[in-house]
Amino acid sequence: MRIYAFCVYLFLYTPIAIIALFSFNAGRHASQLQGFSVQWYVRAFRNPFVMDALETSLIVAFVSATLASVLGTLAAVGLQTMRGPARAVFDGVIYVAIMIPGIVIGIATLIALVTVFDVLNPLLASLWFEDRQPPRLSMGIGSLIAAHTMFTMALVIVIVRARLASLEQVLGEASADLYATPLATFMQVTLPLIAPAILAGFLLSFTFSFDDFIIAFFVAGSETTLPIYVFSSIRRGVTPEINAIGTIVMVASLLLLIIAQLILRRRPER
Amino acid sequence: MTHIPIDLQYATSEQPDARPPIAALRNVFKVFGDVVAADQLNLSIAPGEFLSFLGPSGCGKTTALRMLAGFEAPTSGEVLIDGQVVNTIEPYGRPVNMVFQSYALFPHMNVADNIGYGLRQRRPRLARAEIARKVGRALEIVRLTGFEKRRVWEMSGGQQQRVALARAIVNEPKLLLLDEPLAALDRKLRKEMQIELQDLQRQIGITFVLVTHDQEEALSLSDRICVMREGRIIQTGDPQNLYDHPKSRYVADFVGTSNFIDGRVEHVADGVATLATPSGLRLQGAANAGLKAGDEACLSVRPEQIHMHRDAAPGSLPGTVHNRIFLGEHTEYLVQQPALGSLNVLAPRQGQPDDLSFQTGEPVHINWNPARALVLSPD
Ligand SMILES: Nc1ncnc2c1ncn2[C@@H]1O[C@H](COP(=O)(O)OP(=O)(O)OP(=O)(O)O)[C@@H](O)[C@H]1O
Ligand SMILES: [Mg+2]
Repeated sequence: MRIYAFCVYLFLYTPIAIIALFSFNAGRHASQLQGFSVQWYVRAFRNPFVMDALETSLIVAFVSATLASVLGTLAAVGLQTMRGPARAVFDGVIYVAIMIPGIVIGIATLIALVTVFDVLNPLLASLWFEDRQPPRLSMGIGSLIAAHTMFTMALVIVIVRARLASLEQVLGEASADLYATPLATFMQVTLPLIAPAILAGFLLSFTFSFDDFIIAFFVAGSETTLPIYVFSSIRRGVTPEINAIGTIVMVASLLLLIIAQLILRRRPER
Repeated sequence: MTHIPIDLQYATSEQPDARPPIAALRNVFKVFGDVVAADQLNLSIAPGEFLSFLGPSGCGKTTALRMLAGFEAPTSGEVLIDGQVVNTIEPYGRPVNMVFQSYALFPHMNVADNIGYGLRQRRPRLARAEIARKVGRALEIVRLTGFEKRRVWEMSGGQQQRVALARAIVNEPKLLLLDEPLAALDRKLRKEMQIELQDLQRQIGITFVLVTHDQEEALSLSDRICVMREGRIIQTGDPQNLYDHPKSRYVADFVGTSNFIDGRVEHVADGVATLATPSGLRLQGAANAGLKAGDEACLSVRPEQIHMHRDAAPGSLPGTVHNRIFLGEHTEYLVQQPALGSLNVLAPRQGQPDDLSFQTGEPVHINWNPARALVLSPD
């Protein structure tokens, strides 16, 4: 049984280890190791296409994670006060949103956005004076942010809901009893106590958005995120530069995930 | 002999106090689904008094308190605070504070910030220095000076309890509501806190409303007790009045302990009822109002009212000592009486040399003063 488990881990992690290993390879070819070097990392950071893609990825990840944290927290707080079947339905819908494969979300978002644009663009055009160029909605950074926000918001809702549920209702009552209005209670009691969950949700959302290829592939339009860049350059063969980018993305994601886990694990102070 | 004198000029405390009440319930009902948690509650709370709701689990004590605090709205009826109907006023708009059973201290704030929480909500804002001064004073009152910067979860149960108290009294509420505030403490600490609570109430003069299912706690702390049962207040009175003049078997049983002997009323004359037991004995006791011949009733005798003798006396009943528990100042006996069953007897040790105490298995004769026994309607 131990050997079997060992084989599974070997199977899972060998390719990753090899990518990391070859990113430090001095030689060009993946067939042989030729000594240690960080030249591929330097090359990657000097490549304007990589830097462009990285910038897009970071902007999308940051904005979508921020939006998801704010909207997800508000939704979680709202859901907490709901009772009865409506609550069960919403809870179910959120889990479904997390479990739906990325490709389905990608296609669905693409179709939805295209349909909306088809309706809105003529409408916008009709509102503008004929001599001015009407704005045209199209796929791009906006649609990327929208799609990622939608998906990661579900993550935030689930995480914040768990934390809210573990909060004692009596704290809210104590606050109200001590003359705090509902808004004051939210700001002074609820928010500080769920802040770790919101932060963890933000980090997970950021990681998800930063790593996502499938959804981005459908809705990015002419924009290139880092995963899309990697995908398109792989068609020209795996270079050590790609290995270096992959390693960086992997390490950054792992770090964020570990931090999120640590924040969530910390016992609520009692 | 222990004497609990019957003082007939004791005012029945259900009569309204002359002062305008600080809070009142008027015909209050509260229904949860098909549970009636408050059933026609009528009550006036006098300024500065220490009132307790006493009753078994689920009788609606907490519900009554939560309606005063504003966490529950009555299904019908009116809640008044300081002469105003507050039914539609939210908890944060009511000049009352509550001490929760679980304390409900804010875990992300230190002791001083917890205590100052209510003061910080005031508009117009209070000056920082003023808040600090009031917090310091509250800490002094609960004897926690120097604990300002402590995290609340680093404190012991008794200390947390005192922080919760300080957090409430610092606001100088019109009414301080306490929901079983001592239930989570161990016995010794509970006794200490009971004394502190009573001192505190006398010192600051705030009206206290306490919820408890511990009759000893209610008896020792309260000026007045409302005994509750299934959502109703079935009797209100000061502790001694309730103990000496329970109006029903339920109250006699819940306030203090008593021996109950079932039977049927034979006749009632001059406030004295004669009860015939199924075993053919005739026993007399002060009749509960409304009892008449033929009614089912029960005789209630407090354990300390029963006297034990070695020799038969006129009107005494024979029995056997079944069990004996030495309690220091008192000895508790369980006496088996052929016609009446087991009776609890509490005998003071006072002036009794050791060799006069009764041994298990010893035959004894018991009697009591009929004026100290009560004939109550069973329920
Ligand atoms: N929010 C609620 N929803 C439904 N039923 C409730 C609610 N609160 C109280 N009840 C019911 O009302 C009745 C009275 O409850 P309450 O909490 O006032 O009792 P209590 O006297 O405080 O009991 P305990 O000593 O156990 O605290 C109980 O039958 C309880 O189940
Ligand atoms: Mg209760």
